[in-house]
Formats: sequence, C-alpha cells, structure tokens
Amino acid sequence: MEGKRRKEGLLEKAANGLDLPADGVAGLPHLSLIGDRELRIENHRGILAYGTEEIHVGGGKMVIRVRGEGLQLRVMNAAELLITGQILAVELM
Amino acid sequence: MKQILHKAQGVVCLTVAGAYPERFLNALAAQNILFWGAEPVDSTTLRLKIHARDRKKTEAVAARLLCEVTGEQREGLPFFLARVRRRYALLIGLFFAAVAVLFFSQFILTVEVEGNETVPTAVILAELRRQGVRPGAFGPALDEGAVAQKALLALEDLAWMAINLHGTQAQVLVRERFPKPPLEDSRIPADVVAEATGIILHFETWSGKPLFEEGDTVVAGDVLISGWVPVKVPEYSQITDAGGRAVRSEGRIEARTWRTLTASLPLETMVKNPTGREKKFYALDLLGKRVNFYKNTGITFAEYDKIIEVHPLTLPGGRTLPLRMAVETVRETELLSAPIDKEGAAKMLEERLRRRLAILIGEGEVLKSEVSVVEENGLLTARLLAECREEIGKTVEWPSEQ
Repeated sequence: MEGKRRKEGLLEKAANGLDLPADGVAGLPHLSLIGDRELRIENHRGILAYGTEEIHVGGGKMVIRVRGEGLQLRVMNAAELLITGQILAVELM
Repeated sequence: MKQILHKAQGVVCLTVAGAYPERFLNALAAQNILFWGAEPVDSTTLRLKIHARDRKKTEAVAARLLCEVTGEQREGLPFFLARVRRRYALLIGLFFAAVAVLFFSQFILTVEVEGNETVPTAVILAELRRQGVRPGAFGPALDEGAVAQKALLALEDLAWMAINLHGTQAQVLVRERFPKPPLEDSRIPADVVAEATGIILHFETWSGKPLFEEGDTVVAGDVLISGWVPVKVPEYSQITDAGGRAVRSEGRIEARTWRTLTASLPLETMVKNPTGREKKFYALDLLGKRVNFYKNTGITFAEYDKIIEVHPLTLPGGRTLPLRMAVETVRETELLSAPIDKEGAAKMLEERLRRRLAILIGEGEVLKSEVSVVEENGLLTARLLAECREEIGKTVEWPSEQ
C-alpha cells in the first residue's frame, strides 16, 4: 500500500504512547480482511463511492479504496460495513 | 439461516435512483436501517433489500436525498399472511382442521399387545375390548390402571399387565404366569404300577417295597413298588408279624416294551370340486363397525366355500390402522367321490402313528420299529410295531378307604 505518509493525530499519538487500542481511543477505522473474499471495516465514516469494481470508504483522516471484481456491500450500519466479492487490493489514501 | 429470519420478518427489494446513491446508503446506515444485498445497477441506480418494517423510513430518507424509489418487490411471511387474511374460508378450515387433529388424536386407533408367548393375542384383545380398550375409545376417559387390574382378574394366565396410551396407540405390555408345578401330597400312600407290559431293564427304588427286579417280565397293571412296607420283626422275637407302614412309593423303572398301534383311512373319500362359479362381496371395517357394500348376499349355491380376505390399511413402518377392506369370495363346489392317494395316505398314517408313539413313551426311545400298510374292508390300515425302552412306572394312590 503506497502513498504519501499521513500525519498522526494527537489522540492517535496518545493511544500509541499509552499502549491503548487506537481504533477505540482515536476512532481510527479497523479493517479485517478474511482471505480475498470479505473485508469488514469498523469505525467507518460512510461510503464515498460505490461500484462493482471499486468502493471508496471514508475512514476519518484517510480514504480506504477497495478494488476488485463483483464487489458488493453486503451489510452496512452506522458502525461497520461488510464488503464481499473478489478483492484484489485495499489502498489507504 | 439469516435468509429464513429475513423472510420471516418480510423483505422488500428496492431500486433507488439518484445523483449520489452512496449518500443514500450512508443515510440508511446513520438511521440504523439494516440493508443488505446492495448492488449497483449503474452509476446512479442501486438495488438493495430492507426489512418491510423499514420501508417508510427508507422512503423518507430517499425523499430527503432526492432519490427515487422504484421497482418494489415484496416477499416473506407478513405479505403471505396479508394475502391469506381475507380468505376466511381457508382460515376457518385451518382452524377446524387443527381442532380436529387435536381432538381426534385423543381417540384410540390401534391396540398393540406385546410380551405374550402362549396366551393368544386375540384372547387378550377380547378381554380388553370388554373393559373398554378398543379402537374408537376416548383415551382420556380410560383409567389404565383399573382396566389392567380388571383384565388380569379375568386372564388367569397373565401375571402382570400395563396399558400405555401414546396418542392414538394403546400399548399393552403383558407378562405370563409361570405354571405351578403339580404338587403331590407325600402323606397319601401310593403304589408304583406298571403302565405297559415289558421286561424290566432298570429298577430303582426310592421309597416303598420293590416287588420285582431287573430281568423280570411284568404285565401292565402289576404293582412294581408297593406302598406297604412291612416292619422287620426283631431277631429272637416271638412276634411273627409286626405289621408295616404305608408310604408313598417312588422309583424309576425302565423296561423294554412292545407297542402296537394302528390307524385307518377310508380308501374313497368325498372331495369338494369347484364348479368355477363364484361371487364376491365387499365390505369396509372402520373402528370395528362394518359397512357392507351389498344389500344381501343372495347366495343360491347349494354347496359352497366362503373365503374371506381382510386387507388392513397399513402405514409405512408397519403400523396398521383400524380401517380394513374385507372381500368375501363365495365359490360354488360339488362333492365328488374320489379315491385317495394311497402313497400319501400311507405316509400320513405312519407319521400319525409315530407321533402317537412318541407321546406314549415320553422320554423313552424307540429301539426298533416296523410299519405295515394293508387294504382291507374298504380301509387303508397302517400298523406300527415298535420295540421301545421307556419308563413304565406310574404312581397310583391308594383309595381313601384303604
């Protein structure tokens, strides 16, 4: 995953310094990839773009770009969403 | 499993068209409206599924975001029930069917007896029928314990009975009584008497005074062991007869005997010959009640055989229901005189004689036997001559005045 280096926020620095989970303290998104078929994203900030080959998900200070084939938004609520399909790449921008 | 749960709550499949369909999805997520199966149709159109209860909220969200909701497709239990709701006859029928199943499953349809070996099942069923346990009886009205007790009093060969009601089946478990061994009163004096004529091969006296020994020839009726045992006169006594005491003689006496048995059959016999004419009558047996599918039999044959076939309705698994089709076939016959098959008859007579001999000698053995068959006076006569080794002692009690 390439891209320009993102600046750490204050809460994120505090979480890292105190060895606390950053997703809970700093509200960073939590990604769980199971094989290349399922990607669960918690703490998201909504869908920014939706298509069968690319889905963009807001992650606060970053955008999560999911590329693949036959992508589908299986389930979504305010806290987490589940993307299924043939996932080829996950990029953080 | 999730699909089943979704369908149970009712599913609505929507097609949403708008400039920014992603915002529509975010708005749904923000409102905690569960959706799934979202797939883009094109850049401005989405297809997704929601629960039926969230339809109004979804439409409100779509309206707020200037999206158009089209192509609604409904599936699931709530919509099915809504369609059925106005079918009053169906609902009433379903209700009565449920009540009928609940009510009629309380009636006994079959009575099964288990555990009997020598007591015929028909005898047990007949007694149970007298006590009220029969196909068509109302199960909750039966007192199984009381019925079992009354039936046991009537069926002396049974030691225990239990009746279990399982829905429409009455299961009757029984245990048979062990037969009491015959008791002999050892105070009654008795002799051991020869049952047949023969030569004694083995003589064993357990009580009483033996009157014969091995090698002696005895005739049927001879007293072999006497029940009167004289008291021994003391030596050097002047008493010549000290009397005796009466005992119950016991012993085992084996002898070689000769048995002659005969049996006869007539050489010509009357046989039934079917003429070819027959009639069939049909009837239905339901819960013991018979419904005839004919008014009267109207049999005009002078001589006939009646064959009744019963075909019960059987469920897969072997359980028979109390619904049976009875077919009565009446076949006309005529009596004709015909000679018997001599070879077959001779074999049958020989078998009969041997069986009778086996009963007579009991645990004894047949040492030699010879069967002769002759025709005389219109009869086929078989004669069995057998040399046997058997026990011939039989206990005969003294008459009470003796």
